[in-house]
Amino acid sequence: MDVRISGVTKLYEPDIRALEDVYLTVPKGEFLYLVGQTGSGKTTLLRLITREVMPTKGQIAVGEYNLRKMSAFDLALYRRDLGVIFQDFKLLPHLTAMENVAFVLDVIGVPPAEVKERTGEVLERVGMWRRRFLRPPQLSGGEQQRIAIARAVVNAPSLLVADEPTGNLDTHTAEEIMQLLLSINASGTTVLMATHNQFLVDAYRQRVLELHMGRVVRDEKRGRYELDGDF
Amino acid sequence: MGTFRYVLRDTNRLLFRHWGLSLLTLFTAVAVFFLVGSSALFMLNTRYLVARVESELLVQAYVKNEAQLQTVADKAHKIPGVASVRWVTTAEAMERLKTRLKGHAQALTILGENPLPPSLEIGLARAVLAPSVARELLAMPEVDDVIYAGGLADKLARVSRFATRFSMFVLVIAVTASALVLFNTIRISIYSRRDEIGVMLLVGATPTFVALPFVLQGMLLGMGGALGASLLIGGGYEALVRGVEATLPFVQLFRDPSMLLRLGLILLGGGITVGWISSWMAVERFIRRALRPM
Ligand SMILES: Nc1ncnc2c1ncn2[C@@H]1O[C@H](COP(=O)(O)OP(=O)(O)OP(=O)(O)O)[C@@H](O)[C@H]1O
Ligand SMILES: [Mg+2]
Repeated sequence: MDVRISGVTKLYEPDIRALEDVYLTVPKGEFLYLVGQTGSGKTTLLRLITREVMPTKGQIAVGEYNLRKMSAFDLALYRRDLGVIFQDFKLLPHLTAMENVAFVLDVIGVPPAEVKERTGEVLERVGMWRRRFLRPPQLSGGEQQRIAIARAVVNAPSLLVADEPTGNLDTHTAEEIMQLLLSINASGTTVLMATHNQFLVDAYRQRVLELHMGRVVRDEKRGRYELDGDF
Repeated sequence: MGTFRYVLRDTNRLLFRHWGLSLLTLFTAVAVFFLVGSSALFMLNTRYLVARVESELLVQAYVKNEAQLQTVADKAHKIPGVASVRWVTTAEAMERLKTRLKGHAQALTILGENPLPPSLEIGLARAVLAPSVARELLAMPEVDDVIYAGGLADKLARVSRFATRFSMFVLVIAVTASALVLFNTIRISIYSRRDEIGVMLLVGATPTFVALPFVLQGMLLGMGGALGASLLIGGGYEALVRGVEATLPFVQLFRDPSMLLRLGLILLGGGITVGWISSWMAVERFIRRALRPM
């Protein structure tokens, strides 16, 4: 799915301006880094796309969906085509790694046999097959991250939204996760990734969108990390 | 198919993960529905009693002489509320007295000529009509005197009204109480699973799918409560009827198995409905809030 954001402003409270007049078009199949200082509005922008946040002003559409106006049922359909990796993972602690991934397919009515097959495949892909029976509290941060990714991609989404997917990982693990995201992107999925990881952005050059105090201050085809607000 | 299985597994999990809470809710529901059923039986019994007494309530009109019985009977038939008219001739009145006195009947011979007046026994459609019927009878020149159980009719009507109101009151209180208890139980279940629900909604589960296990949980708890209450009432009432028959033979309790069955079915339907509505209200509200974007 492609993303079309035009003239979006988000005020959390009358005086908290998280985004200001943002225009952004992401074509199908693109990989986009979202960079910017803490509090610059990256998470807000991603949450507009998951429709956890509604713009105060402006339009937002993803694929065939107009996010300003949609029924609860359409929202459910839309989210099935959307993969989300949350900054805090949002894994369910009482379920095993495998159950956490299968859960996504279970709750949208995928037949059990298919759930088993697709869950197995994706766990192999993120290298977690051998640890599939462990629960999140028994897994390391990087392993939890992989499960979160597996869960986000198990339903073959058209759009993948990742909020700092390499948050607390060492360089080596971060690179592995990056490879994974790139391979998912290579299979046709549009990827939006908010990140503070300068090393990755500079090593795997992609389109870079920089936010500063809620405004788009840079949009480069094959950009680097260096932040405007850094000097 | 996968959906169905998931919902059932989930409902099962909801019921048994918080089994203490489920049990508590179930007990409360049983108590509440037991109360409803008992008050319904109380009302039925009162009405039964009133109807029985009503059907036995007679207005006795004493007529000056036997030749006038026909005239009075004809007029009595025309009074609204009169259901039956029966002649009691002097001879029959004497017969009745004799059977009542049994062995001492010969004592009556000292009376010489039969002194008992002829009368009409008038049955009524409704007990409350007794005073007005009596008044009309008394207004007839052929009628000497009218006797009926005066205050009784009035009292019966009042008892019947009270029983109906009382059971309605119990019904309203009980339904409210059970709805609140079920609502809260479901809310606690929802709260204990809020993270899971949040993730479900974020990955594209439909609101109906998310709500279903909770609604089923509420319906099962309501149904379980009503079922328990029905069984208790069924067994308890049988025992009560038998006990009363053995110790107080003159009291006759209402006894109709088909009525008991119907009461049980009504309770069951009520339990399921209350469970359904209260759990739906709890879960729908939660989902609507969870889906509302910031
Ligand atoms: N729910 C909220 N209520 C009020 N203000 C909020 C809320 N969420 C975010 N904000 C504010 O909006 C601004 C942008 O926040 P956002 O989370 O989008 O930043 P970010 O770029 O993701 O930061 P970080 O890199 O630290 O994750 C911040 O000033 C933040 O305090
Ligand atoms: Mg953020």
